[in-house]
Order: sequence, then structure tokens, then C-alpha cells
Amino acid sequence: MSSDVRFTDFKSDKQPTWCPGCGDFGTMNGMMKGLAETGNDPDNTFVVAGIGCSGKIGTYMHSYALHGVHGRALPVGTGVKMARPDIEVMVAGGDGDGYSIGAGHFVHAVRRNVDMTYVVMDNRIYGLTKGQASPTSRSDFETSTTPEGPKQPPVNPLALALAAGASFIAQSFSSDALRHQEIIQKAIEHDGFGFVNVFSPCVTFNDVDTYDYFRDNLVDLKEADHDPTDYEAAKNVITDGEKEYQGVMYQDENSVPYHEQHGVTEDMSEIPDGAPEDAMDLVREFY
Amino acid sequence: MAEDLNWAVGGEAGDGIDSTGKIFAQALSRAGRHVFTSKDFASRIRGGYTAYKIRTSVDQVQSVVDRLDILVALTQRTIDENLDELHEGSAVIYDGERSWEAEIPDKMTAVDVPLKSLAEDAGGAIMRNIVALGAACEITGFDVEYLDEALEKRFGGKGSKIVENNKEAARAGQEYVQENYDLDHLGYAVETTDNDYVLLNGDEAIGMGALAAGCRFYAGYPITPATNVMEYLTGRIEDYGGHVVQAEDELSAINMALGAARAGARSMTATSGPGIDLMTETFGLIATSETPMVIVDVMRSGPSTGMPTKQEQGDLNMTLYGGHGEIPRFVIAPTTIAECFWKTVEAFNFAEQYQTPVYVVSDLAMAVTERTFEPETFDMDKVEIDRGKLVDQDEVDEWLDAQGHFRAHAVTEDGISPRAKPGTIDGAHMSTGLEHDELGRRTEEEDERVQQVDKRNRKVETAKNEEDWDYREFGDADADNLVISWGSNEGALAEALGYLEEDGIDVRVISVPYIFPRPDLTEEIEAAEQTIVVECNATGQFADVIEHDALTRVKRINKYTGVRFKADELAEQITERLSEEVPA
Repeated sequence: MSSDVRFTDFKSDKQPTWCPGCGDFGTMNGMMKGLAETGNDPDNTFVVAGIGCSGKIGTYMHSYALHGVHGRALPVGTGVKMARPDIEVMVAGGDGDGYSIGAGHFVHAVRRNVDMTYVVMDNRIYGLTKGQASPTSRSDFETSTTPEGPKQPPVNPLALALAAGASFIAQSFSSDALRHQEIIQKAIEHDGFGFVNVFSPCVTFNDVDTYDYFRDNLVDLKEADHDPTDYEAAKNVITDGEKEYQGVMYQDENSVPYHEQHGVTEDMSEIPDGAPEDAMDLVREFY
Repeated sequence: MAEDLNWAVGGEAGDGIDSTGKIFAQALSRAGRHVFTSKDFASRIRGGYTAYKIRTSVDQVQSVVDRLDILVALTQRTIDENLDELHEGSAVIYDGERSWEAEIPDKMTAVDVPLKSLAEDAGGAIMRNIVALGAACEITGFDVEYLDEALEKRFGGKGSKIVENNKEAARAGQEYVQENYDLDHLGYAVETTDNDYVLLNGDEAIGMGALAAGCRFYAGYPITPATNVMEYLTGRIEDYGGHVVQAEDELSAINMALGAARAGARSMTATSGPGIDLMTETFGLIATSETPMVIVDVMRSGPSTGMPTKQEQGDLNMTLYGGHGEIPRFVIAPTTIAECFWKTVEAFNFAEQYQTPVYVVSDLAMAVTERTFEPETFDMDKVEIDRGKLVDQDEVDEWLDAQGHFRAHAVTEDGISPRAKPGTIDGAHMSTGLEHDELGRRTEEEDERVQQVDKRNRKVETAKNEEDWDYREFGDADADNLVISWGSNEGALAEALGYLEEDGIDVRVISVPYIFPRPDLTEEIEAAEQTIVVECNATGQFADVIEHDALTRVKRINKYTGVRFKADELAEQITERLSEEVPA
């Protein structure tokens, strides 16, 4: 790890193909700055992404990265972190990727409390397939596949995480650059699963959950005197259906990450040239 | 009487049939006898007939036969299910005090032992099976002290009191038979030797092979008959700094293993057919991102959930062709339990040398069968580890492009690119399931697409040329009749040769552990007058590829009842097929 890392070191020379004005630009910038500010560099960082607009992030960033299959980024991140506790792992996904096809993995990654940062770019719509309802779309949100709206309540990812026993739950807004970066940094620094749902507006297909909407409606917990270590207070904020919040909602200060709970400390990529020295003991067990 | 002793215990699932059988198998193995075990079980926890069978001899045994000499029957169904295999010299041990009235044909010897009461006297009804083992020792003249050793191994961890009680229970069974029966006329005398054998099954051998090969990460989801691989690794892999994760499903399991592999660890998952279906989603990603990984498929009867506790070799096509698009892969199917160990070691080397997913295809018959081996069979000094083109810090520069980007998918002559694990400075790169350029970045350029497809496929060509895709051969090398087999049928085939020889039929047997790449058997087939391919499936999946390779028709023996081949049955079928006309 070198001390002179700048956030641009995490930038690849590929030009993003995201639509001009897409919230994902701001989300990614915050991730790169957060990584640099917390002392990481591209060679000790692994970024995993699934499918969708969010999934492209690994191409636009520079680090070790895997762009995998739809909804399965969290298990990949888990594998990386377990094999290499020395590596900083960041997982990026979208609301479809993470809360629809990947909902099962989300719940289990949360409860395992694997030490990685999970950033979900939540634009409340399927962008890359050109505008269908997502799990976080409002129940009356009209799209090509839901002409009268989904007619079902949206998933509350923060509540899902809380119910699964999350140790860190936060929400940010991609265009509030400083605040977003600050929240990402806290998630990276958290010992355990750092979950950040990021409002990352889709300017092409979502004309409801717009920049203006979030600017006008977001309540910043920094100004609301919220104590994230207070579970009850966190629950109230997270289940408040009336308002949209940004900030760290909940943080368990006694969080012990999965690999520590399981005594995993070693870099698993280093192995001997042959069988382990005492390997014949494995055979003798069968006497 | 017969050198070969066939013993079984049967009852309802939940009656402790498995542990009883295992204890006796271990006792016999400790006594320097060869052991081959098999299980009949149903897919339920309690209730349903289940049996554990042991064939034992001072000579090597490697298949099941249709004969039972000693049967411990905890239910009438145990007797009914095995009636065909019982004979005049058989002894059936049962508990006459229990509520069922045992119906045992007159011609065999019924040995009524109050298993439950004797067990209660020794400290608990739970030990009634151990009483039965003591009785079996007396009937067969097998020294009960060997049983003591197995009991110590089994219950040692639970305290000396438990061990002593069990020993007492065994003695009670032994003494009861001694005092109440004179069974010398049965003529059983179980000879012992000074040999020290190890007794293990296919799943355990795969797990042991993984540890020997440096596997450090395993993620899986429980499924019959592959779960035992995960159970074996759990608690042992930690000794080497590794870890097992029980994932929420197979999709997660294979993706976790993929993550660990990309992080540079030797990584594996194991499942059975239904799990492979789910994992197939990620299979293409592993191949196209050129990630070294081992995937174990312990086959059971399909399709769908099929018969979860029954034998079949029906997944060959899926492992060979599964996944959309065109995917380079290796498929290795061990033919013996010992090969489960060695081929797993080899699979890890192939995976890293060629940066591909490698299937290790085993089956239920191999997974649940325990067999004795000389410990040297698993000589750990012979384990070699080849990590392929994993670049160290000094070598990274050789693989950077003009802008300093690491060429993780560099187009090379042998098709194999360099591999940098995280932490390697300047090695940072992107991997993706999308078609990509040399740097791993998305491309739809025609030239780059073709280059990458060719590059990945070239790895297979390189492997075909570099490696020895051999097979095992036995029987008469000059025989006109050729029998080809894959997977776990080898043992039964080897023993079938004895029966065929008695009938004056010479056969050359080729047992193939490599499905892809595989040896070219064209010459062997052309040299033979008749070729038969033996496999446990209905359509002859291996026979199909053999016909394709050799451009000729072969005869087939297919069994898909859910039960493995038996030696005598195979001999009969081979004889029958040889007399049939060659297919057009």
C-alpha cells in the first residue's frame, strides 16, 4: 500500500457508457475516493459487480475486479474476502441485481457479516433493459411491463438488512458528493458487512425518483441528531415510510467480521509445493 | 468354508445401521482383512428399509456379490429384502423378544439373541446393535478384541465409560451365542493378517485429495451423495488455514468458490446433479474468465430429483456439454476410490495449469462405498503441485502492455495466459463473463472475439498434446472381445473377468478415467472383434462419444435400476451381448 494513492488511480481509461447525467458517475466517484482516502490502492483492492448498469463499474474502475453473473456478486465477494483477508473487497450492484435476483444472497451475506463494502446503486428502475419496474419501484410506477404500476409495495432494503441482522446500514445520495463519500468511507472502515444503499437517479427512464425529488425530500441524519448505535432509533428511521433519509442508520460497534469469527487469518493463496508435511496423518485417520 | 464373508445389518433408517456397519467394517480392517462395503438406503431420516453390507476377505475385494452369510435383521423386511441372497449356510441374527415374529426359512440358521435386554444390562438399549456385533463375532470365529479397537475409535471421544459399556455389550452378545448355540457346523473362520489397511469411501478420498493438493477454500450446499465431501473437509481444512462455507444455495456456493479462486486460492465445490444444474449458470463465467476451479459432481439417479439415494452415471452429457455457448473444460471421472484421491489432486493441477474449470465426476456407488487400501496407496510424497502460469512480482512486467496494463488474457501460442493474484503490484485487471480483449475489457470486435475463443480452445489442444490421457487395462490384452467402462464399474468388471474365464471367454477391459480430453481408443476398438461399453445409464452416453471418436458402432450394457453392477450379473450380460449380432 503506498501512501500517495490518489482517487484517480482507481480510474480506468475506459470512458463510461452510462447516460450523461446518470447517478452512477457520482456513486462511482465516491467509491474511488472512499477507497483512496481509507489507504487502499488498486493492487490490494477487489471490486465485484453483477449485471446491469451498475455491473459496468468494474470496467470503469482500475483494480482487481470481477464482473460476474446477475445477482451473484455478493457470494463472489465473500469468496475473495475469505481467501484473502488482506484484500479490500467492494461489491457493487443495482436494485434489480441486489434485491430481486440476488435477494437471497443479500440476506445471507448480511447475516454472515463478511468484511466487505456493499454499494447498491438504487435508481428504482431497470435501466439497461430500458425501463421496467424494479423491486424498489413505487407501487404506482408505470413502466412498459407494469402499465398500471407494479401494484405491490417496494422492497425496503434497509429493513431487509436490519431484519437479517446487519451490523452497518447506511443510505446516501450520489449527487451529494461529500456526504456520499463520507458514508462510503465509514462503510469501508466498518469491521464487517458495510451496506450502503445509494440513491443513484436514472435520468433516462425514471421521471419520478429524480435528482430534484431527492434534493427536496432527503433528510440528513447528521442534522437529525441520530445515534446510529441506538438500535431502536435505527429501527424507527429505517421503517419510517414517510421520509427518505441519508446517513448511517445503524452501526454495531461490537461487530466481529465473519472471517475473524471463524479464525481465518491466513492468505489462502500461499500453499506448499507438495502435500502438507503431516499429510500422511490424513491417511492414518482411516486406520 | 468360503474365504469371502458377506455380512449385513438391516433395519429402519434411524436404527443406527450405518454406524453399526462402519464399526464392524473397521474391526475387520484392523484385523488385516480387506473390506468392501455397500449401502441400501432410502431418502428419509426415519423409517424405510436401510442396510449396510460388508464383503470381506484376506484377498482384495472390489465389488458386491449376491450372497449373504451373516445377516443382522432388526426388522422382518430386512429378511424379506435379502431372501435371494441368503443360503443354507447363512445365519440370521434377530431379537425374538421384540414385538415382531421373525419369519426365517428353515434351511438357514436362526440365531435368536435378546439384543435389547442384553444391551440394557450393559448400560442402555441403544447398544443392541453392538450386542449383535458380538454375536456375529462368535458365529464367525472373529476375535472380539478387534471389535474393541473399533469401538474405541468410534466412542473414544465420548469417554471411557461409553467405550467400556459398548465392549461389555459386545461380550454379552458373544457369550449368549456361545452358551445357547452350537454353530460350528456353519464352518466360518475369519482369518486375520498383520496388514494395516485404511478404510475410506469415495467422498472422503476426494476431500483428502483436495487437502493434499492445497485446496484452502470450499463452499457447498448439502446434497446426497456429495455432502460427505463437505463434512470431511469441515474441521480438517482449518488445520491448513483454510475454510468451508455452507452457502445458502448452489448458486452462491459456486460463486464463492469462484471468488476464492480469483483471489488466488485453490478452491472447490462439490454437489450432485440437481446442484450442477444450478451451478451451470456460473460455469461459463468460470471458463471464460479463465478461473482455475474444481467442481465435483457425485452423480445420483436423475433427471430432476430422480432417485436421490440411488446409483446412476447419467450426468456425463451435462458435464461434457452443459452451459450455453462453447466452453473449454476438463472432465475427469475416477474409476476407483483411490483414483478419487489422485484425480482430485490432478484436477487442481489441471485447473491452474490450464486456467479452466475441471469437473471431477464421481457417483453414488463410489461415494457411499468404503474399501480397504494399503496406506501407501495414498503416498503423500508423490503429490506434486503445479500452479501453472501464476506470475510472481518479478514476472509481472513481462505481461504489461505499452500503457502498463496487465494482459490477463494475453493471446499466447499455447492458449494459456499469465495469472496475477490480488496484491501483485501492477497486476490489477478486470475479469468478466463478457467477451473481452487481452486486458479483460469488454469487446465486440470480430478479430478480438475470434482470438479469445481460439485462445481458450487452444488450451484444450495444448492439454491433449502435453498430458497423458491414459486408461487402465486388465484381462487378456490379446482378446478379441473388448469391454470399455468409465467410473465406478471397474471393480465389478475386474471380478466379472473371473466368471468369464471359467466359461472360457477372454476379455480385454479398458477402464477410462478421462472423459474430456479422453484417450483415442480407435486402434483398440479396431483390433477387437467386438466392443461393449458398460455404464449405469439408459442411453449409453459414453458409448455415444466412443462411437463418435472411433466412427464405428459398439454394443452396450446399460443399467439404470438405481443399483450398481454386480460382478456375476455383468459376466452374464457380457456373455449374452457377445452372442448378439453387431449393430449395423
